Amino acid sequence: MNELSRGILRLSAVLVLAAFTLLPCASLAQNSAKSDQWIHVRVENKDEGGETVRVNVPIDMAVKVLPAIKHNQLHDGKVHLDCAHLDDVDLRAMLDAIRSAKDGEYVTVQSNENDVRVAKNAGYLYIHVTEKKHVAHPKKNAEGKEATSTNPGHESKVEVKVPMKVVDALFSSGTDELDIVAALRALSSNGDTELVSVKDSENTVRVWIDSKNVTD
Amino acid sequence: MLFIAKAALGVGATLALSTAYVFHEGVIRVDVDENRDGGSHVHFWVPATAVSGGLRVVPRHYIQHAAEQSRPYLPVIREVAKELEKYPDAELVDVRGPEHHKVRIAIHGGRIYIDAVDKENNIHVSVPAETIADVANRLEDAAPGI
Repeated sequence: MNELSRGILRLSAVLVLAAFTLLPCASLAQNSAKSDQWIHVRVENKDEGGETVRVNVPIDMAVKVLPAIKHNQLHDGKVHLDCAHLDDVDLRAMLDAIRSAKDGEYVTVQSNENDVRVAKNAGYLYIHVTEKKHVAHPKKNAEGKEATSTNPGHESKVEVKVPMKVVDALFSSGTDELDIVAALRALSSNGDTELVSVKDSENTVRVWIDSKNVTD
Repeated sequence: MLFIAKAALGVGATLALSTAYVFHEGVIRVDVDENRDGGSHVHFWVPATAVSGGLRVVPRHYIQHAAEQSRPYLPVIREVAKELEKYPDAELVDVRGPEHHKVRIAIHGGRIYIDAVDKENNIHVSVPAETIADVANRLEDAAPGI
């Protein structure tokens, strides 16, 4: 084997080694780019010619931009709560209790007007509220007089699903502050999640996160 | 003859270089059409470099006045523009309403596109994100601590 052949062989060996060393890095870089999460908001009005609003924001961008906004209660990416004990309910104590409790259904309210369900399952906090709107129908009774009866009409459903670590991050800064930036950071480390879904007869609202930069 | 050829080459190269420099940041484009009697129609495009460069020669008190007016929004504008450069293609806001009413804010190829269309108005603006960040930085530099 002459000098030239040896040189080519060495060069090939170095290139193969470099390829095997760098390829996983390139793949990692691609994966990290893919992990960029976007928060999407879609509001659709069901009326004829109703509006449709679609908002797509990269979570990383929101994390950087929010601290620059100083408006009313929002400062440094945190929302100041005027009263941490809302209506004598200690939110922090309640969340601490939920965090340390086992998975399960904590609140179930079923009434003629509303159904409310608060549950924790597999690291997620679920809040489901169904508001029942009754429609009054005038009916004639046996004596021929008009009486109104109420039938279940249009329902409006609110479904919120929040990872517990996001709730923790939200209340991480202080007793009277909501740390939005920390919550967004926690959200971005979470996978694709549907956060909020509101459905009623007039509007549909969806808030979710995924790695796509466009709405479906 | 050789001298003229050399001179032409020099002038040509200078023109090409200066054109490339003037347009290296892109173009700011504004189109406004008011679809009514006597409505205005404004269409212009400006090299973004002219805006960034122009800020250097504008008298200081004008810049300070502009900075005073826009000071609360400058940090936000600067951060948004800087971040948008990382997301070259995205549809940020899309609002569609009745009667072809439409508002769209998107970024494509590092340029921010703002479109607002309704029955009476047709507005399209496109600005390189880099230019917005540059202008915000210059305004902040010109009037620090306001």
